[in-house]
Amino acid sequence: MIENPYYPIDSVVEDIITETPTIKTFVLKPSRPIKFKAGQFMQLTVPGVGEAPFTPSSSPNVEDKMEITILRTGKVTEALHELEPGAKVGLRGPYGKGYPVDKMKGKEVLIVGGGVGLAPLRSLIYCLIEDASKYKRISIKYGAKNPEELCFKRQYDEWTRAAGNVDFTNTIDVPAPGWNGRVGLVTTLLDDLDIDISDSIAVSCGPQIMLKFVTLKLLDCGYEPPQIYLSMNRKMSCGMGKCGRCNVGPYYLCVDGPDMCYDKIKDIPNVFG
Amino acid sequence: MLFIDSTNFERLLKKLSADGELYVPVLMRLDGFRTVDPWKGAAQMLRCPVANYPDDKSREISEEKFRNVVIVGARACDIYAFELVDRVEIEGEFTDPFYKVRRDKMFIIGADCTECGESCFCNLLGNKPWPEKGYDLNVSSVSGGYIVEAGSDKGKAAIEANKDLFSEARDEQTKHRDEVRSAVLDKLEKQNRAFPRAEEMPDVLRAALTDDVWDEIAAKCVECGACTNICPTCYCFLLYDMKADGEYFQRISTWDSCQVTGYARMAGMLNPRARLTDRVKHRYYHKYDYLVKSHGAIFCTGCGRCIDSCSATIDMRESFKKVSDRVKAGKR
Ligand SMILES: Cc1cc2nc3c(=O)[nH]c(=O)nc-3n(C[C@H](O)[C@H](O)[C@H](O)COP(=O)(O)OP(=O)(O)OC[C@H]3O[C@@H](n4cnc5c(N)ncnc54)[C@H](O)[C@@H]3O)c2cc1C
Ligand code: SF4
Ligand code: FES
Repeated sequence: MIENPYYPIDSVVEDIITETPTIKTFVLKPSRPIKFKAGQFMQLTVPGVGEAPFTPSSSPNVEDKMEITILRTGKVTEALHELEPGAKVGLRGPYGKGYPVDKMKGKEVLIVGGGVGLAPLRSLIYCLIEDASKYKRISIKYGAKNPEELCFKRQYDEWTRAAGNVDFTNTIDVPAPGWNGRVGLVTTLLDDLDIDISDSIAVSCGPQIMLKFVTLKLLDCGYEPPQIYLSMNRKMSCGMGKCGRCNVGPYYLCVDGPDMCYDKIKDIPNVFG
Repeated sequence: MLFIDSTNFERLLKKLSADGELYVPVLMRLDGFRTVDPWKGAAQMLRCPVANYPDDKSREISEEKFRNVVIVGARACDIYAFELVDRVEIEGEFTDPFYKVRRDKMFIIGADCTECGESCFCNLLGNKPWPEKGYDLNVSSVSGGYIVEAGSDKGKAAIEANKDLFSEARDEQTKHRDEVRSAVLDKLEKQNRAFPRAEEMPDVLRAALTDDVWDEIAAKCVECGACTNICPTCYCFLLYDMKADGEYFQRISTWDSCQVTGYARMAGMLNPRARLTDRVKHRYYHKYDYLVKSHGAIFCTGCGRCIDSCSATIDMRESFKKVSDRVKAGKR
């Protein structure tokens, strides 16, 4: 008998947290613990609707529960947003390589997120903060469309209080009534970086167009391509490097990514789509 | 070297396929060249149910449920295609169990090409029009029957168990086989002389990454997807869930084509290959560049099926010549 890699692990939705008008976090309890690394992703099945890839937003140090934070955008994600606690879903994975946490040891880690892109990064943030002394600094920059769309609002203070070497700044795209914080695209948070760039690793997750401008900005600031890691996004089906769908040039994102070192992909035409 | 006459060969096939399925060319001709359709469907079904949900029986796959399959008359290019796709579906961190079990249960009877088709270009890949490995038995058509060679333990055992069906091949029969082999290879060399050899192509493609020659090549394409469906090394598939009652569904893996628009389209209508040129280019680059980097080989066998099937009469060899000429001209 061979285990069927296409059959999902039965899981129950234990809780649903509304993060923003378009984003919800699903707390899942799989029937057996799932060990994953920050940045690895899962294929999540809504029975009778379909499957879609998501990166857990919870700590990789917790194996018996998994949180996945999801933006409502189409068929599967609409169905997810309709679910109630107690619903049954399926999980396959984890797939992919995950973030290069080992390379971050002893460095100043710059984390740049946009929109729901902070979800996969939250898993990394937990992973780094839970072991904060191993890193010189953990600097988080986050942008959203408007104040309502800021994901994980309740946690920003928690993160900066967790350790002395964590800082967090955010911005919204355009001014909004009652908002006294920074305004402008997330790249504006990189204008006055006080980071020792030569000793830093930058990771970014967000819409492809944002990744493009963040990358250009980082290069402008003095980052070298090998220091930049981007969560790339492609259509996925198998998650196992078999179905051929998710390539960026010669790489299958589901196996070699989804977080890719910019140095590897910088010469691929239209890499940001 | 052993010989088997045509009547005994049919007896052998009956015995070998007694407990399974037998795949033979429609006309059961083992001379000539490859069949119109590729053999990939015997390993990767066009539409393969991979899971019923929820169903405990679906959690594991029992090898016993799969039947033995005997394939008769696979050509060198066909056998090479299995070797290539094995690298993707079997090797690496994950294995597709459906593919692997079918491959494990496959008994391949290869056959020499005694002619080649106009679209055949296996020689450009550095391959021969007769199988050199990857088969269990190989047959070479000679008058009255076949010269038979075993290429695996399974093949040797099949001969051993059916000794009475074989006789020793005569010298003139083996001589005839060798003459035919070199005549077919000569013909292939002649008909493909004008085209670049495959080994040059990865570098040529890397140099042509942003060349507009691809727009010219793509201009004729009508996006029918025939080339990918008929290609023995195109393995891409899509998983989709067919809804049954309530939460029940059947998960199905079905062949897919990178040439159709929706293939790589993501949520929010983002599509990294929305342009036809990018999709056409993708087929060439995937086979002749990306898979060289990721799986160590050019994923083309030179069978020429994509040439025969193309609604727009695009010939891969001519495309390569065009690109190669362009790159060389640019260097001068
Ligand atoms: C590695 C990775 C990690 C991700 N992590 C997150 C995350 O943490 N949070 C998050 O919110 N998003 C994440 N995403 C994005 C998420 O996967 C997409 O938003 C999701 O797939 C959208 O699915 P949908 O069915 O709702 O959207 P749709 O737009 O309905 O479908 C998306 C795509 O599927 C196709 N499609 C739709 N229906 C079918 C069908 N029946 N058959 C075949 N194709 C169909 C569409 O053509 C479209 O291209 C991640 C993506 C990747 C690749
Ligand atoms: S490509 Fe070569 S091996 Fe294949 S059918 Fe043509 S001549 Fe035979
Ligand atoms: S999702 Fe199938 S190859 Fe990556």
